Amino acid sequence: MALPNLVRLIYRNVRVNTDPASLVILLGLPAMYLIFFGYGFGAFAAAAGSTGGYISFLAPGMMAFQAVMAGTVGGSMLWADRRWGMLAQLLVGPFTRIEYLFGIMLTSLLFGLGGAAVMLALAIVLLGAATVPLAGGLAIFGAIALGSIFFGSLMLFISAHIKSNTAYNSIQVLLIFLVNFASTVFYPFSSRLPYALQVLFVVNPLTYIADTARDGYNGALTVTNGYEMVVLAVETVVLLVLATRAYLRSDVSTE
Amino acid sequence: MLSAGRVPDGGPIISAEAIRHSYDGKRFALDNVSFQVGRGEVFGLLGRNGAGKSTLIKAMTTLIQPTSGQLRILGYDPRKEGRKIRDRIGVVQQGESFEFASVEANLDLYGFLWRVPKSERKPRAEALIERFGLGEFRRRRSWDISGGQKRRVQVAREFMHNMDILFLDEPTLGLDVLMRRVLLDSIRAEVQRGLTVVFTTHNLEEADYLCDRIAVIEEGRILALDTVENLKRLYSGKKTIDLTVGASEAARFFPALVEAFGSRASVKTTGNAAVLLVEDPKEALATIVDLSQRLGVHLEWLTIRQNTLEDVFLRSIGPQGNSHGSS
Repeated sequence: MALPNLVRLIYRNVRVNTDPASLVILLGLPAMYLIFFGYGFGAFAAAAGSTGGYISFLAPGMMAFQAVMAGTVGGSMLWADRRWGMLAQLLVGPFTRIEYLFGIMLTSLLFGLGGAAVMLALAIVLLGAATVPLAGGLAIFGAIALGSIFFGSLMLFISAHIKSNTAYNSIQVLLIFLVNFASTVFYPFSSRLPYALQVLFVVNPLTYIADTARDGYNGALTVTNGYEMVVLAVETVVLLVLATRAYLRSDVSTE
Repeated sequence: MLSAGRVPDGGPIISAEAIRHSYDGKRFALDNVSFQVGRGEVFGLLGRNGAGKSTLIKAMTTLIQPTSGQLRILGYDPRKEGRKIRDRIGVVQQGESFEFASVEANLDLYGFLWRVPKSERKPRAEALIERFGLGEFRRRRSWDISGGQKRRVQVAREFMHNMDILFLDEPTLGLDVLMRRVLLDSIRAEVQRGLTVVFTTHNLEEADYLCDRIAVIEEGRILALDTVENLKRLYSGKKTIDLTVGASEAARFFPALVEAFGSRASVKTTGNAAVLLVEDPKEALATIVDLSQRLGVHLEWLTIRQNTLEDVFLRSIGPQGNSHGSS
């Protein structure tokens, strides 16, 4: 039986994006954050009198971070396909523009969930066996799934508008940095932060994803996590619509 | 080849009627273009860069929708039935396109995307690797090979799947002479099996070698459309004179040459070379020799020959092709 077009596109996306260099960036970078920051800042926190292990705080944050990395995969795929002529080639083949778009979104989702699973496994290796409750696990992967689509849409929106390789890479690096460090991935929200940073923390969807992943990991989910996920879902739908419109109106090539 | 689609027996497989397309709403990249292509025909689109060839290919392959006019590909309307068209065509685009994978993975993956069963993909890929000489670099990543090698992969890849129409947008760009011939012969072989080919080029020898009919396009308009033989015959009463002068003498000789011939010849100049299309070559030779002696210009090369497709092309695009004067 012939596979549906969407499955063919996802297989193709995974196959061309799983070269060793891409995997090092996708998984190696968060893994290194977890190991170096986890132990480095963990020692610092212990010296300051903290009783909780920093690495157990950071591990769910790194799972959440995979949503951002998955988003960059989506944006990069569209950008690279346009740059290297495969977008136009696929669109004169047996695929529709919408199939191509959802192929990218679902590939991002796969990368997000896969990356989170690897981070969870690494956390178990570093921290010893964790007992993540079923509801917690579902919350972690649900939040990361939504986050992957949110950041995938964001990067698609950007790559639909930008034609310069340098500009795209610069924006991507800046966004990763901003989104990552203005969230609760690396440190908890504090009312002692400058007001502008507090606002950034609150409007940053990665904060919601990291909070939910952390509470799910620690078996401490509350109604607040539910509200955060509803807000994230609404933001994701809005951004997905915007990204779809931008993509459908964009040129298929950079020529 | 696939089945006939929605085209009645003997009907045109491509039909374009008064196609116009504008990218910016001001200038028309295609302007009132009409033609038909029959099954098994090799139809050439001949024109300079920016003439509108690629825009026409994009319209026929559903990548853009024409601003106005009626287009039917395999009997389907590209506006509403693009998917049905794309299921049955192959396209080699002008720009490079490749997957970030090895050459053989590019072939396999392309076949996979086109729903070619795994059992068929391997032998097809091997045959194409052999035919297009990809064996030496089959395991290298596609971004690590030369431009010409990439082009070979891009063309070979298209033969991984079955199709009714193959659109080739300057497919020989970057290919060496040997590979050009391999490609053109491959296309000929497929045409004998019933494939219809639309082929854009500005290489006149290729068009002459491959095409049954040719449309000469300039500024989005079809200036001439006929079989290669008829187009040549159209100018059979005329002869072509090629001449070359010293590089430093071209600037004063060519304007005088154009003036001397007036409306008796069309003169096309490129650098220090000129091509003249004339009715009476004897009289023309006398004029040229006389003029060169009067101006003290040394003629480095002077020859008379039969018309070629290039002459037809130059004649069709007229004064805009750096031509001077007209007959």
